[in-house]
Amino acid sequence: MQAASKWERVASGIGEADRLYSKPRSFAGDVWFRFRHKPTALLGLIIIAVLILFAVVGPFITPYGYDDQNTKFANIPAVLQVYPAPDGHWLYITKALKVVEVDEQGNLVQQLRKGKDDAANKVTVYPYGDGLTVTLDYSQTPAAIQDAEGNRISETKRLWNKTYLLGTDHLGRDILSRLMYGTRISLMVAFIAALVNMVIGIFYGGIAGYLGGRTDSIMMRIVDIISTIPLTLYVILIKVCLDDGLLSIIIALSSVYWVDMARVVRGQVLSLKNQEFVMAAQTIGSSTRTILTRHLIPNAMGPILVTVTMLIPSAIFMEAFMSFIGIGIAPPLASLGTMCNDATDALRTNPYQLFLPAIVICLIMFAFNFVGDGLRDALDPKLKK
Amino acid sequence: MSAASDQEVLRVENLTKHFPAGHGKMVHAVDGVSFSIQRGKTLGLVGESGCGKSSCARTIIRIYEPTSGRIFLEGEEISHLTPKQMLPHRRKMQMIFQDPYASLNARMTVQDIVAEPLRAHHICASRGEEREMVIDMLARVGLNQDHAGRYAHEFSGGQRQRVGIARALILHPELVICDEPISALDVSIQAQVVNMLRAFQEEQGLTYLFIAHDLSMVRYVSDDVGVMYLGQLVEKCEADEIYSHPLHPYTQGLLSSVPIPDPVAARQKESVGLEGDLPSPIAPPAGCRFHTRCPYATERCKQEVPELKEAGPGHFVACHAVNS
Ligand SMILES: Nc1ncnc2c1ncn2[C@@H]1O[C@H](COP(=O)(O)OP(=O)(O)OP(=O)(O)O)[C@@H](O)[C@H]1O
Ligand SMILES: [Mg+2]
Repeated sequence: MQAASKWERVASGIGEADRLYSKPRSFAGDVWFRFRHKPTALLGLIIIAVLILFAVVGPFITPYGYDDQNTKFANIPAVLQVYPAPDGHWLYITKALKVVEVDEQGNLVQQLRKGKDDAANKVTVYPYGDGLTVTLDYSQTPAAIQDAEGNRISETKRLWNKTYLLGTDHLGRDILSRLMYGTRISLMVAFIAALVNMVIGIFYGGIAGYLGGRTDSIMMRIVDIISTIPLTLYVILIKVCLDDGLLSIIIALSSVYWVDMARVVRGQVLSLKNQEFVMAAQTIGSSTRTILTRHLIPNAMGPILVTVTMLIPSAIFMEAFMSFIGIGIAPPLASLGTMCNDATDALRTNPYQLFLPAIVICLIMFAFNFVGDGLRDALDPKLKK
Repeated sequence: MSAASDQEVLRVENLTKHFPAGHGKMVHAVDGVSFSIQRGKTLGLVGESGCGKSSCARTIIRIYEPTSGRIFLEGEEISHLTPKQMLPHRRKMQMIFQDPYASLNARMTVQDIVAEPLRAHHICASRGEEREMVIDMLARVGLNQDHAGRYAHEFSGGQRQRVGIARALILHPELVICDEPISALDVSIQAQVVNMLRAFQEEQGLTYLFIAHDLSMVRYVSDDVGVMYLGQLVEKCEADEIYSHPLHPYTQGLLSSVPIPDPVAARQKESVGLEGDLPSPIAPPAGCRFHTRCPYATERCKQEVPELKEAGPGHFVACHAVNS
């Protein structure tokens, strides 16, 4: 239409008015629109995606398995403070006063074989290459390497550990690889628990809420009973029977966490079932199944999703906690919880061994909580701006 | 008798619906209502908010289990059928709801909403056939093909109500219960929707039970009018008769609250009005339930329950003052 005719009367017609409509947006599209305009939610989603990639693809890339160990290189951190060696390589002194040879790039070469130990002067001489020697001076802390004149070398350099990017644990296992496997287990536990809980919770809660009355009371009392038994007890009991840490944790989480979901779904269904669209479906003659699956559950999907995303971090934490106290994943399998547990013994000397898995746990929890929050806001039309 | 019941689409005898209200008390939502509707006619059911109109409609359509009483649909008793036995009868009886927002599932497209009755009764052999029927039905209520893929929240109240009507009529029912189908709509749209309902009635010989809480629109659509008060039918007669000769004091009160377009007539009209609030349906007043608000109440009204009696030809009223 030309500008000149801007204010002229437009021929009437149904089509014209309809074209003024904005593009139809489905409910899911609407939610996604609001979700993606919330930075924290989006950040959470990105972190989750990266973590999934890390846990799924990572183990294929890293050269180490979760149980590959090299005790010669135990307790080596990610960033090495190194002293110059006679041939241009570098030397790293571990907290246990072992001397490790490191090349220019930061790859670990070998642990030096001990030569003569002069206990009186608190020095140890290590043979190095072709007839050269290296002297470790441990008369003062921190220990240092002496130069040719017998003076402590004060000039040091920081090198990134290229062999073990995030360092090794007390058994010389690569922490990065173990983090990958640990995250994998955490996410696996979380997703399986979430899926099982969703399925059981939706059906149980949906049926209780829809049937109502006596059935509802009985079903909800069962839920109350289940939720009062402590989770640790389940895990221990199930573990006694199954002898498999991972499976018993999954079974325990699956058999307990659905009660929250059932309560949420029941509440939703109770409030939805008296709405007119459900009555309309009843007057039409739709089956109970249709009413549940096409009307009630899709309308309760918002709170269900929020509950699931809030349940996931708690399941992850539960797994880590169980593994930490030693009734979860059995060694040598890596779980973020067992890694934390392994690190507590050497916490003072090698704090990074605890912090790294702890950071990953925090990241996962943050990410899922952000996403859950974002989802809840996006799904609540009352907050619609 | 058989000829009469052939003409009679709906017959309700002594219908009662009580809801448990806790502590052993009961909400007397519907209490002994009886009426019948002939084929192709409209019975208007009016009354204040909370007098049990919706409960009555929902009990008839068997969303609620009747406490007692009998419901006949085309001569067959449906009062105590199981959901499974009820299924074939559901095709013959549909409902249009009051709230065009709450009565459509927000997670379904218009196509799915209107096709739901077809699916429930396995009417279409294929998706294509189903789609054709839906679009045909949408066209008849003034919507077009483009609307089929949209979600209900994208429509105006009037358009939504049309979707609701399309859903109710796609099965070609005999009886349509309209539970205040227009009270949530704009005045301009009310007329459109009512005219559309009337057009469908003429076209298909539909029978309506038309519920409203004011009398002005009911007069336009109804052949007969029933007035409900606290779960009971207090007056029942032809639509015009109830406007010219309202007998029950409650009906007179209701009518006085109807705006009159002619100011001279409005001034002349003696204003009875309705005073006070509706008493609680949990403990309805003894005797005539209206006696607490009735300007003519006597001692007898407080004790004796008035029966619905014929006061004039085809004019039934339940009031001691009128009947004696
Ligand atoms: N499911 C229910 N459970 C308990 N009480 C109910 C239920 N449905 C309705 N009631 C009660 O029954 C009475 C009649 O309600 P109903 O909805 O039938 O009135 P109504 O005439 O349709 O009013 P309105 O014009 O506001 O729609 C009210 O007191 C209401 O609180
Ligand atoms: Mg109502």
